[in-house]
Amino acid sequence: MAQDEDDGRTGGDGVARRRPLSERHVDETVEVAVPARTAYNQWTQFKTFPRFSAVVRGVEQVRPTVTAWTIGYGPVRHRFAVEIVEQDPDAYLAWRGLEQHPTHEGEVEFRPTESGGTAVTVRMLLRPRGALKVLTRSSRVTALAARLVRAELLSFKDFIEGLGQEGGAWRGTIRNGRVQHDTPEPPRSRVAQWPVG
Amino acid sequence: MQNPPGEEPDTSLSVTPPKKWAAGVPAVVHALEYSLEQTSPRKTGVDLLTMNQVGGIDCPGCAWADPAPGRRHRNEYCENGAKHINDEATARRITADFFREHSVSDLAARSDMWLNQQGRLTEPMIKRPGSDHYEPIGWNDALGVLAQELKGLESPDEAAFYTSGRASNEAAFVFQLFARALGTNNLPDCSNMCHESSGFALNETLGVGKGTVSLDDLHHADLIFLVGQNPGSNHPRQLSALEEAKRNGGRIVAVNPLPEAGLRRFKNPQKPSGVVGRGTQIADRFLHIKPGGDLALFQALNRLLLEAEDARPGTVLDHDFIDAHTSGFEEFARHARTVDWDDVRAATGLTRQEIEKVRDEVLACERVVVCWAMGITQHKHGVPTVREIVNFLMLRGNLGRAGTGVCPVRGHSNVQGDRTMGIWEQMPDSFLDALREEFGFDPPRPHGLDSVKAIKAMLEGRVKVFLALAGNFVRAAPDSEITEKAMRTCRLTAHISTKLNRSHTVCGDTALILPTLGRTERDVQADGEQFVTVENSMSEVHTSRGRIEPASRMLLSEVAILCRLARLSVDGTGDIPWAKFEGDYNTIRDSISRIVPGFHDFNARVTRPGGFQLPNPVNEGVFRTETGKARFTCNETVIPLAPEGHLLLQTLRSHDQWNTVPYTNNDRYRGIHGSRHVVLVNPADLSALGLAQGDRVDVVSVWEDGTERRAENFEVVSYPAAKGSAAAYYPETNVLVPLDSVADMSNQPTSKGIIVRLEPTGDRYKPAPV
Repeated sequence: MAQDEDDGRTGGDGVARRRPLSERHVDETVEVAVPARTAYNQWTQFKTFPRFSAVVRGVEQVRPTVTAWTIGYGPVRHRFAVEIVEQDPDAYLAWRGLEQHPTHEGEVEFRPTESGGTAVTVRMLLRPRGALKVLTRSSRVTALAARLVRAELLSFKDFIEGLGQEGGAWRGTIRNGRVQHDTPEPPRSRVAQWPVG
Repeated sequence: MQNPPGEEPDTSLSVTPPKKWAAGVPAVVHALEYSLEQTSPRKTGVDLLTMNQVGGIDCPGCAWADPAPGRRHRNEYCENGAKHINDEATARRITADFFREHSVSDLAARSDMWLNQQGRLTEPMIKRPGSDHYEPIGWNDALGVLAQELKGLESPDEAAFYTSGRASNEAAFVFQLFARALGTNNLPDCSNMCHESSGFALNETLGVGKGTVSLDDLHHADLIFLVGQNPGSNHPRQLSALEEAKRNGGRIVAVNPLPEAGLRRFKNPQKPSGVVGRGTQIADRFLHIKPGGDLALFQALNRLLLEAEDARPGTVLDHDFIDAHTSGFEEFARHARTVDWDDVRAATGLTRQEIEKVRDEVLACERVVVCWAMGITQHKHGVPTVREIVNFLMLRGNLGRAGTGVCPVRGHSNVQGDRTMGIWEQMPDSFLDALREEFGFDPPRPHGLDSVKAIKAMLEGRVKVFLALAGNFVRAAPDSEITEKAMRTCRLTAHISTKLNRSHTVCGDTALILPTLGRTERDVQADGEQFVTVENSMSEVHTSRGRIEPASRMLLSEVAILCRLARLSVDGTGDIPWAKFEGDYNTIRDSISRIVPGFHDFNARVTRPGGFQLPNPVNEGVFRTETGKARFTCNETVIPLAPEGHLLLQTLRSHDQWNTVPYTNNDRYRGIHGSRHVVLVNPADLSALGLAQGDRVDVVSVWEDGTERRAENFEVVSYPAAKGSAAAYYPETNVLVPLDSVADMSNQPTSKGIIVRLEPTGDRYKPAPV
């Protein structure tokens, strides 16, 4: 398992991350030939993941901080909910499984490159429960997970480079699992305000 | 299918020990038994297999949310929902012959259960002034009578328009539009009587009057509080969500004056472990609290959390959240530290140690949800209690994050949606301005009447015409004798209904029954087959499409009745396309999309599988309060006390009941069989009062007006109710709830915490005013 030397690292914007992933089983980077803003905007349109992913079958965006993912291979399906705990536009997001003891957590970084593209890095820590724990002790299994993530990143690269521009954007910020107040108020918050008996 | 009962059932009370678990195989058996008594196996199958499915019928039983499309069971309903939907889909019919046989006086002497069991209303009926019989009338004439009466009023404010939570979004929108086009905001509704206190307190503290959680939040909460609610009987599908939360490692604290079966253990009949196993334990901890002690409980918890922070600074409270997103913390904290433990003990009946154990549970958890229902809101201090719950959640940042939030659990299936559509007597100018722009008339601005005020206005002759969109107002409202007197004072009362109920029998000089389609039935209009939409307790808006043929070819939909009435009454007011609305409900939704915030692209979005979820500003980091932040509040401790020899009564539903409609005289989870005229009392209280199980008593409420309100001839049952309290069924004991006894600020009738004494029958005396 890889480890960071500096657990309290900061992002490119100097903002201290609350949940730096000090340990990980997966650490994969792919450079995509679009600006960081485009890559970030497309990535965070989570519902579009099935358009390029080989394993994601569906994503429900319950609200900005909660998504429910259905992944599958052949006839097998598995649904799990994910909480986004940190999100900085064009730079970073961190997630964790919504279970009481998360079975996985991870982060995605978007770093502008000198060529005008973006280095997209995915780091993941797998923490299966019970007997499945043994899997993460196997280097073959973690290598398989890394290959899978790399393949997904390459699919994303083909997808966004092919499209050329993002299909939508959510530009909010999330800190500690909570959306930060935007000014002006985001249109989504404009709902009926009167009391409901 | 069985014929309707000719006479009232002749059953006597038998009592068995309360059940220790809810649902399981008996729930399936009871649901099917009742369904097949009412209708054919084919209709039962069609109803049940499309119920709560994508594109199917939304269960009118309760407002609990459905799982996401693809995650629903083939049988996505509960015992009570199955009973309710087949109660509506019954093959029994009420025709003109029935009303020739039964006078209004005769019907007024019948029980709620008997009236409901007679079946579906099939044609419009009128009771003319001076007559004691309903007689048939054509639709045009019926609506003409009503329109003439409305147009003849000296002021539109002499009419009141009541809505029950069964009404769809489309019907509710048209209803409020009609009332406002006529010129009044008199829109009392059933929300006034159930969660008004929640809406008021949440709007004040969080800036939105609705709950903030989704099913995923409940599934993944570390700790769930169930406060003043009975999910086993009133929202049984909540038990499935709680089961999943437990499977995910969550813990549950239940707080209630009665140890209800559904709070203890759930046997999910869709799982082998629920059929042959022990099921799932629901509450890990049960606080047997006195009625109305919840405010003091949360105040005590808040004090304990503040003290824990003092002991370990920086480890207990979520200072980031408090500093960035809230206001009023310092004042609140000062006030919370003054909460007195003797007061807490007196109010709750709980020991400090019991509450400290709950504090420890809270400290061990990162994500907390608090669910509540009428055990909170129907107290005089319902609003401060909900505020204190919000304080409690904010201390540790349990708002706006996944797995956290407030969950007021609502009863009627579209009670939340009806409010969203503008059924409120105090709608803000922004909504009224949008109506003006859309329809070209100036809606009235003065606030109208809520339910309690409407009853008073009727009594005083200020309201002369009462029109109800669904519901059973006479039985849902407090102070039954006063409410009935008020209804009888009206010049005209009219009800848009599917089934017979007491509100048809306690009526004005002229009374109209306007029979309508039920949720289960196909609704075909000029533009083809229609669907309607509803909003559940978790702000998800989705479709409901009836599948079976209407009970009668003479039935009109709620929307059609209202649009036709509007054309007769307010045609020419503004530019309102009533005929288009009736023919094509898409046009109503188009208007809604331009008027109600959050409903843009309504038609397109609602027809997606599962519909769409209205965002909650709290989950978007926005608090639209006076301070622009979530607000801590200071609330005075309330100790609900009954004088010596008295008890605090809470009215409640039985298991075999939907709102004001009992299906049988049984309440099997509580071990009550054969009678609803029972009062449940703690054995120690019985002993102190010199009473024993089986004694017959009158339940007499005590109120500051000195009026004696009496529910006669109830049988005493020894029951593990919290000491000092009693429980009895509503609507039979609504007679005990004084009309003036309302929750502070929300004006919600207080159907909990009523001071009563039990007078052995034959030993009546004239009480001194208290």
